[in-house]
Amino acid sequence: MTRFDYDDGDVVVVVGSGAGGGTVANELCQRGFKTVVLEAGPHLTGEDYVQDEWEAFGQMAWTDPRTTSGSWQVATDFPELPAWIVKAVGGTTTHWAGACPRFKAHELAARSTYGDIDGANLLDWPIALSELEPYYDKAEIKMGVTHRHGRPPLPANNNYKVFANGAEKVGYRYYSTGPYATNAEPYDGRPATVQDGFNFQGDKHGSKWSTLVAELPKAERTGNLDLRPDSHAAQILHDATGRATGVLYVDRNGTLRRQRAAVVCVAGNSIETPRLLLLSGSAQHPDGLANSSGQVGRNYMRHTTGTVWGQFDRPVHMYRGETMAGVIADESRLDTDRGFVGGYYMETIALGPAFLAKFVAPGKWGSQLTELLDGYRNTAGMWIVGEDMPQADNRITLNSDVTDAHQLPVADVHFDDHANDVAMRRHGQRQGAAVYQAVGSRRTIETPPYPSTHNLGTCRMSQRPRDGVVDRFGRAHDVPNLFISDGSVFTTGAAANPTLTIVALATRQAEYIATELTKTL
Amino acid sequence: MASALISARDRQTLVEVVCTAFPHSSFPRGPYERAADVVLDQAGQDPRFLAQLIQGLGELDAQRDVPFTELDTDTAAAVLRGADGTPFLTAVVDSAVVTLYSDPEVWELLGYEGPSYDKGGYVDRGFNDLDWLPEPRITHDEEASA
Repeated sequence: MTRFDYDDGDVVVVVGSGAGGGTVANELCQRGFKTVVLEAGPHLTGEDYVQDEWEAFGQMAWTDPRTTSGSWQVATDFPELPAWIVKAVGGTTTHWAGACPRFKAHELAARSTYGDIDGANLLDWPIALSELEPYYDKAEIKMGVTHRHGRPPLPANNNYKVFANGAEKVGYRYYSTGPYATNAEPYDGRPATVQDGFNFQGDKHGSKWSTLVAELPKAERTGNLDLRPDSHAAQILHDATGRATGVLYVDRNGTLRRQRAAVVCVAGNSIETPRLLLLSGSAQHPDGLANSSGQVGRNYMRHTTGTVWGQFDRPVHMYRGETMAGVIADESRLDTDRGFVGGYYMETIALGPAFLAKFVAPGKWGSQLTELLDGYRNTAGMWIVGEDMPQADNRITLNSDVTDAHQLPVADVHFDDHANDVAMRRHGQRQGAAVYQAVGSRRTIETPPYPSTHNLGTCRMSQRPRDGVVDRFGRAHDVPNLFISDGSVFTTGAAANPTLTIVALATRQAEYIATELTKTL
Repeated sequence: MASALISARDRQTLVEVVCTAFPHSSFPRGPYERAADVVLDQAGQDPRFLAQLIQGLGELDAQRDVPFTELDTDTAAAVLRGADGTPFLTAVVDSAVVTLYSDPEVWELLGYEGPSYDKGGYVDRGFNDLDWLPEPRITHDEEASA
């Protein structure tokens, strides 16, 4: 186990060990850079995971206090839980399902493609798909994504059989069991899936790509990784010249530590990353670190989501097998004639009775709920995930009235649905119901959005410093050795599940940091 | 630990509240009793919740000429509907929905097999045994572009 000195100013400090942080750390370690990873959560592994929805939630989820505001339904249904993400080594890659679509070219140029949408704060990304494609290849190979680079597809499970037959009947063409970052056959030292049906609760078998089982162990083997779990970043420090000099964090004993750094990479997810920048305000950065644009925390996106359940006369047993190994991509196309801009994917999803009862109609009880659960055995499920509109006032701010265990002000997550989001969700739920009706469902049920699993924006990438927080490599416009390495940098959200793109961007960023550091060291 | 302020009759009322909130004709009494006992345990740790529980159960009993436990199903549902949104009922429902549907006996009744890793997953235990629809294709021709 490598340990670097607190005063070793040559290290790169990475805050967060999920898709962005774990990847950028491994890529830097492979290139010989000393890297300290500060992870707020504990170091859980496969043996620790529990195949029980609520117990696993209690073990893995980020349940530190947060507050909500705005007109989104999550603020009513789950006022203290705006997001369902993980606080543990590996971050939310330990709980993600695995769906890996790429962005489409037009989605990186949303402002040019969709035009000036009222109320939306659209902006083109400062990079084009052609620049990202080599890194998508690297990310897919790294993650062992099925259907790509010779990796075989996963087989059809029961939930997929219903979904795919319905898709065929309504005339969809682009349905398949991937791309999906869980092994159908052994790959990269990880075994094939045993279809145990648990993804959101951690993968005991290690078949699913996560930074916990892939990037961090590889980084560890270089001898360049100093991984510090239970280490909660409190503030980023800078000097008079405006360069970041280190990170203050609270260790597992509650002691405040200072780790000096040559470079700081922040990857705490799109809620904690802007919170940390806002907590790092100083005389030189009165509105928060790297916030001369005023854009830190703004343009928070969560994807337009919803769930459709179909109930049938015969058994489905949707919970058996990979949770999300089914994708219909037809509605992800560029087609603004549907009454909204942007596209969406339909993806299989399964919940156990415990989470279905809680999430299908939050706070509701009575025979309508129980009749639905009585049909559990015969239920199929799909999730709608689509591009939502960035809005300047959908934002993360510090709520100084509420503090966490370290007396740090918590994040308030403010979100209002844009009319475009509402129109897309309606369309998606209608199309989803049509898929199930096409194969004989007795009834379909629509579930409102869950606490956000895809948290995006809040430190967006922009060509011009006044429009965003970071440049095309994720480097802060205001602080030359400060990088943002997670989904916070997304200029717009696209329809695709974000993990693959976060990994591709982090891989590209690490290459850039390595080149820049080699010049200066 | 349940509080001494909760009588055996209060507990029976609470069990009936959970049954009425989550009616399943296939469920025996056991899972409802276990869910009610968890509510009581939680209230035992939370004086505010306990106070609301004592007050709320008493009020339910006073709604009709006979105690809540003696009401027929439809009347009990109507009485409970009248308490919808009260802190008392919200807290009971929020707790019971978690416990009741995490109960292995309930899982079996609903057709959910739960933890599978110790049994080798579902790969040889029916993950793809649905036979009332044709076998669909699992890839499409333009995957890279779609």
